[in-house]
Amino acid sequence: MTAQTLTAKELKAPRLGGFGITFTVSVAVLLLMTVAAIFAPIIAPYDPNEVDFMAVHSGPSMAHWLGTDSLGRDLLSRMIFGARTALLGPLLVVVSSTVLGILLGVLAAWRGGWVDAVLARLFDVIFSFPSLLIAIMAVALFGKGLIAPVIAMSIAYAPYVARLTRSLVASERHRPYVAAYRVQGFSGWWIALRRVLPNVAPIVGAQSTLNFGYVLAELAGLSFLGLGVQAPAADWGAMINESQAGLVGGHFLPAIVPAIAVVIAVVAVNIIGEELSDRIGGEIPA
Amino acid sequence: MNLLDIDSLTLELPNGTRLLDGISITVAKGETVGLVGESGSGKSLTARSVLGLLPERATMGGQVLLEGEDSLRVSQQRLSELRRHSASMVFQDPRAGINPMRTVGEHLTETLRLCEHLPAEQARQRGIEMLKAVRLPRPEQHLKQYPHEFSGGMLQRVMIAGALISSPKLLICDEPTTALDVTTQAEIIAVLTEQAKSRGMGMLFITHDLNLAASLCDRVYVMSQGRVVEQGSAQGVFSAPQAEYTRKLVAATPTVAVDPAAEVAAARPVAVAATADRAGALRARAVSKTYTIRGQAPVRAVQDVSLEVSKGAALGVVGESGSGKSTLARIVVGLESADAGEILIAGKERTKAPRRRAERLAHARSAQMVFQDPYLSLDPRITAGHAIEDALKLHSKLSTLDSRNRVLELLDQVGMTGKHAQARPRTLSGGQRQCVAIARALAIEPDLLVMDEATSALDVSVQAQVLDVVAEIRRERGLTVLFISHDLAVVRRVCEETVVMRHGEIVEHGRTLELLGNPQHPYTRLLLDSVPRPAWNREVAVQSAT
Repeated sequence: MTAQTLTAKELKAPRLGGFGITFTVSVAVLLLMTVAAIFAPIIAPYDPNEVDFMAVHSGPSMAHWLGTDSLGRDLLSRMIFGARTALLGPLLVVVSSTVLGILLGVLAAWRGGWVDAVLARLFDVIFSFPSLLIAIMAVALFGKGLIAPVIAMSIAYAPYVARLTRSLVASERHRPYVAAYRVQGFSGWWIALRRVLPNVAPIVGAQSTLNFGYVLAELAGLSFLGLGVQAPAADWGAMINESQAGLVGGHFLPAIVPAIAVVIAVVAVNIIGEELSDRIGGEIPA
Repeated sequence: MNLLDIDSLTLELPNGTRLLDGISITVAKGETVGLVGESGSGKSLTARSVLGLLPERATMGGQVLLEGEDSLRVSQQRLSELRRHSASMVFQDPRAGINPMRTVGEHLTETLRLCEHLPAEQARQRGIEMLKAVRLPRPEQHLKQYPHEFSGGMLQRVMIAGALISSPKLLICDEPTTALDVTTQAEIIAVLTEQAKSRGMGMLFITHDLNLAASLCDRVYVMSQGRVVEQGSAQGVFSAPQAEYTRKLVAATPTVAVDPAAEVAAARPVAVAATADRAGALRARAVSKTYTIRGQAPVRAVQDVSLEVSKGAALGVVGESGSGKSTLARIVVGLESADAGEILIAGKERTKAPRRRAERLAHARSAQMVFQDPYLSLDPRITAGHAIEDALKLHSKLSTLDSRNRVLELLDQVGMTGKHAQARPRTLSGGQRQCVAIARALAIEPDLLVMDEATSALDVSVQAQVLDVVAEIRRERGLTVLFISHDLAVVRRVCEETVVMRHGEIVEHGRTLELLGNPQHPYTRLLLDSVPRPAWNREVAVQSAT
């Protein structure tokens, strides 16, 4: 009997090291974007808002590698500065939604009973609104900019984290090791936060990484609608919005460059998230 | 020609690990052959290879001749034929081997209808016959029932019926009674032997339980680490073992047979002088606990249980699943509150589950517990040393350095070293984990140690080591132990006194040896009679019991 389990384990042994090429590339891309965002003023060849009427809609050249937009602003520089809001927004949302979601999830799982029931219904209510809609409502109430959508989307994404945390903690809670801690005299909250939570954290972390990609795309969408980061600030979504008029005149580059940036960023984050959740999934304590 | 002839079978994994090494086993027609060994010995793999159930990508050597055909090399189609007509298998966990969404009738008649093209009515009749043969009470009705409506023992009979329905020449049983209570095990074994005899069927019976193998088998093979270390007639192997490993195994196996002459030599419970402290370490008076689930009849898990353990003594609580023994343990350590009655530990009231911090700590110092499953009762992320240190720091104001030293002391007491302090649970063996759990409990210096089936999940030799550790600690520190187990033989090794529980009530209470030698209550007698004994010993045991 145990020989069987042993064989099964050896055959299913998690691949140590040997990250796939796609995973490595994704990490590299994301690192590159992060570095670009942090050191934007040093790296960018031009000021992102420097208008040059002599070079309106110029194609790629030695002076402007990716060309310029309808006001003659350097697209590469705007892309690099745009990475700042593109990455900062999702980061804020992911951090705050993860913290909020974990707290609510642990609370629901550990207290159970009516607390669990009330929270579950609350999550259902939030789930029933698309996150973008909640963000738009927040903008309508509190005005345009990055802050209102970030807060709204933190709330919208918290239930995803909370529901996952709840189910993980709820199943851990009935394991004998938790009873063993209780018998030793540890308090319930100590066990939940200091011992059970770290055991489920990697899985929650993988889910949050996936959320990062979704949020990035949605925030870009919000800026595109003119509700997020406002022009003339460099932001990928806002850049696509501004270049709409140019599309009619056959100037595709100012729209396509930021659009591709969004796609690459989201795909990279999703690949990393999937890979992490796959790997950690095999590591869930039996 | 033998029914089954395994000749120098080897099995190797792609990474070069050799799991089976030159196994040769024969089973003749109508013969029951035991395959005995501890976990990881390769006994299951050997049995599975007969039906071609092999791990993926394994490299096989040697041959497995089933009715003259090599099941390692025949075509897939021929293998299916062999599985249909020549041999079938009963697995350990019946619930894992049956589709929960289909009725028992569908499970039983499926093979007949698909492979023998029997019409539905005839298949149904055969199904009813088979359920009768395995002595299920209401065959017609059972055919329409779903697996969840059956108990483990009843479901295992269904699985046996399913294995026998194609009239195999060879039945392979892989630990078919390990998950079952001892009285249920006795019934299942009776059914199996009866069927094997009436059909003239060969049986390959895999078990870790020497006594069971001895009571059932004509010949046995003892396996260890992928090799057959000894073979011969059951009596020969167990009464005069030749191989070193077999001798160790036989010595480690506890027995219930009370033989006054052997009593001196056999491992006896540690006699710890009961101190003059008549207050007792644990005193339970009329403890009751009832679970009420809405829409169902209340379950009276523990009813009016009273017991007393004097300081330094060990009391065994024996019962089958559902007897309330685990609930009692959980009440004593404060994981549950009793509905009625009173529990005193070292003279202090410990009836209710603790709530506030001071209560929790006080209760923890009164009673500690070692749990059944060593794989689940340690936090997978926390190293052994850290786990013990956590407990120390909660209950004492030791400095970090002092507590580290104390951790090493405690590990040393349970026979482990400082090297193990850095180890995470998954790198430790089952026995080592259980020792860490004991050390962790001792760190708190409790008045009472509750061991809830603490050795049930371990191999016999490891179990013997853990029991030795417990005996050693009791000798040195006069620790009081409440030892909960389903296994009378183990309780006999540890405890001077024993209570027998059934349906939440204590049915018998007495000194362990007297209770085993001269049981008063019919249920105790049933329990004792159900414990497998070597066939050649049975008469002796019956005589000494009366």
